[in-house]
Amino acid sequence: MVSLNREVVIAALSLAACGILGWSSLSIRDPGYGTLAPAAWPQMVLVVLAVLSAIHLFRSAMGGAHDAETEPAGAPRSIGDFLAHYRNPLLCYAIYFVFLLTLPFLGALIGGILLVFLLLNILGGWSPRALLQHALIAVISMGAMWSLFTFGLRVILPEGVVFSVL
Amino acid sequence: MENIAMAFAEVATVQTLVLMAIGAIAGLLSGAIPGFTIAMAVVLTLPFTFSMSASQGIATMIGVFVGGLSGGLMSGILIGIPGTPSSVATTFDGFPLARSGQPGLALGLGVWSSFFGGLISAVLLIAVAPQLARIGLEFQPWDYFALVFFALTITASLAGENITKGLMAGAFGLLIATVGEEDINGVSRFDFGSDYLQEGFAFLPVLIGLFAFSQLMTDIRDRVAARQALTQTGNFNIRIEHLKAARMVLARWSNLVRSSLIGVFTGVLPAAGSTISNILAYDQAKKASKDPERFGKGHADGIVAPEAANNATAGGSLITMMALGIPGDIITAVMLGALLIHDVVPSPSFISEAPVLAYSIFIAFFFANFLVLGLQSVALRLFVLVTRVRMYMLAAVILAYCGIGVFALNNIVNDMWTLFFFGLVGYALRNLGFPLAPVILGVVLGPIAEKWLARALAISTDPMEFITHPWSLFFIVLSLFSMAFGLYQRDRGQQVWTFFYTPLLAMCLSVPLFMMQGYIRPGLGLLLVGVGLFGLYRADKARRARAAEKA
Repeated sequence: MVSLNREVVIAALSLAACGILGWSSLSIRDPGYGTLAPAAWPQMVLVVLAVLSAIHLFRSAMGGAHDAETEPAGAPRSIGDFLAHYRNPLLCYAIYFVFLLTLPFLGALIGGILLVFLLLNILGGWSPRALLQHALIAVISMGAMWSLFTFGLRVILPEGVVFSVL
Repeated sequence: MENIAMAFAEVATVQTLVLMAIGAIAGLLSGAIPGFTIAMAVVLTLPFTFSMSASQGIATMIGVFVGGLSGGLMSGILIGIPGTPSSVATTFDGFPLARSGQPGLALGLGVWSSFFGGLISAVLLIAVAPQLARIGLEFQPWDYFALVFFALTITASLAGENITKGLMAGAFGLLIATVGEEDINGVSRFDFGSDYLQEGFAFLPVLIGLFAFSQLMTDIRDRVAARQALTQTGNFNIRIEHLKAARMVLARWSNLVRSSLIGVFTGVLPAAGSTISNILAYDQAKKASKDPERFGKGHADGIVAPEAANNATAGGSLITMMALGIPGDIITAVMLGALLIHDVVPSPSFISEAPVLAYSIFIAFFFANFLVLGLQSVALRLFVLVTRVRMYMLAAVILAYCGIGVFALNNIVNDMWTLFFFGLVGYALRNLGFPLAPVILGVVLGPIAEKWLARALAISTDPMEFITHPWSLFFIVLSLFSMAFGLYQRDRGQQVWTFFYTPLLAMCLSVPLFMMQGYIRPGLGLLLVGVGLFGLYRADKARRARAAEKA
């Protein structure tokens, strides 16, 4: 019996991606130096990936019930469940994204301290005692890391507008 | 000998040994902490090695590698949770022995087995790698391409039951490596008009994102578990019983040697690592034991086998990396990346062209085993301290460190974005049931495969060249059989075709051996034909017996 499950969606998305990239590969310039054309290797890989995706799609659709069983127990079934289930990773990714966005302004030291502080609070809680503990961990760990890279390894980390003004 | 002496002088400096010792302690701790892996520790050590010489940097990372392999036994034996997948089997007997009131002996057995396993593989590394490199010098572009193809298929075939997903993951890795300017003609691919994509993805940020970043996200996903200390029972007052354990391990020399050889062989195979070797060795030790019923209840052989095997795997994977330039697993892929950063490109000619550096790596591996042995007691105390730290605290600090470390690779902020993006991709892949090892090896091996394919086609466009070159045919045969290996494992003994798998493999492998020059290799081919024929006879007998049973 044909059924729609997570694996079918994955395989279909993979096939779609292969199609888009395959189409894009047609516009890769060929300097014509007589060796392997620049588009040839990615096209070979895309063909392999597309064939594998098609096999996976077929197997998942035909053995739908079996494949559905491979989904982990307690896997989220709605958007609300999904957000609750993946709350910590989602928030961490969001904070990391903001850290990268603000890196040119805050720099690695201030941005890093804020990053660690926020991550610690989101993952560990916001009680007054935890806030103090987290602030200390953030300042000490990032301060040590920044010093090690700047003075020990002579790596010039992003300074940031704020830090240079200070 | 002159090269060995020079390499010895390079490694045996106080500075290098101190760096290796720090690396070994870091490895021991990361190996001991459940949720952290050796690969993650090696990856995170990499930025610190930039300012070091190539031999110092690699020696430090080898310290982490060997330390990590030995560290897994601490948590496995003391708390019953293996610190790394490479010490899963150690837990089977180590934990029961520790609970029966002999934790010091259990730890001692693990420590000394790891030490001897490491030493055996170090000796084999020094002896075999140059010989294998000599064979590698015979390789032509077709052979190299076939070897890389084999590495990719075996990675995917070891992905477990879902081979299709493993192969898809490998192909996805190859695809990631095609983004940006290619090396041969300098033509940009899949850049969609973006300068960032035109640069392509640097290998290490991709690797750290896929592996370390996504692993940390997995570790902190559960809100309750993230706030708990790493272990609830963090108060161990144990003395490792070194003397008694060393004697017991040496008394089990046949198990020790067998397990070490299993470890080395597993390590030599591209993509098969200590995760597999420790279980294989445990299984063989149980089968060979006079009292297999005592396994799982604190049998010493059950600790000796996996610990000797997992440490020996390190030497095996270094053999492949050093001799052929092909990373055996994720850890050696990082090491390969580290060597490239230091402008060293491992290949069959590497050992002859840069003998001092090559032998420095061998000697560092040798020393690392002694250092780890000596540092176990220190690491045990530190392990107790670290187990009191809550998981989310470590994760938050390491996440920040990942970003800073990745920036330090090339001083480019874009690499931090790559880390973030592949952190997301890695986490999604993990949760969707895709193995990450094939992706990572695809990223590493993709450019190598393309380079050799281009060179092969530049010489001749005839595809039959892949069949007429013996080494190429040898690896193609192995690739085809390795693709079916997952099915073979699943159906072994259940389906009739599995009886014929091994004999047919032997027969098919004999063909390229007959095509080779000299007497030894065709002689080996003849031996394989004999093995194959005998296997076919036995397989047919088993098939008939099964048919009679059904009738």
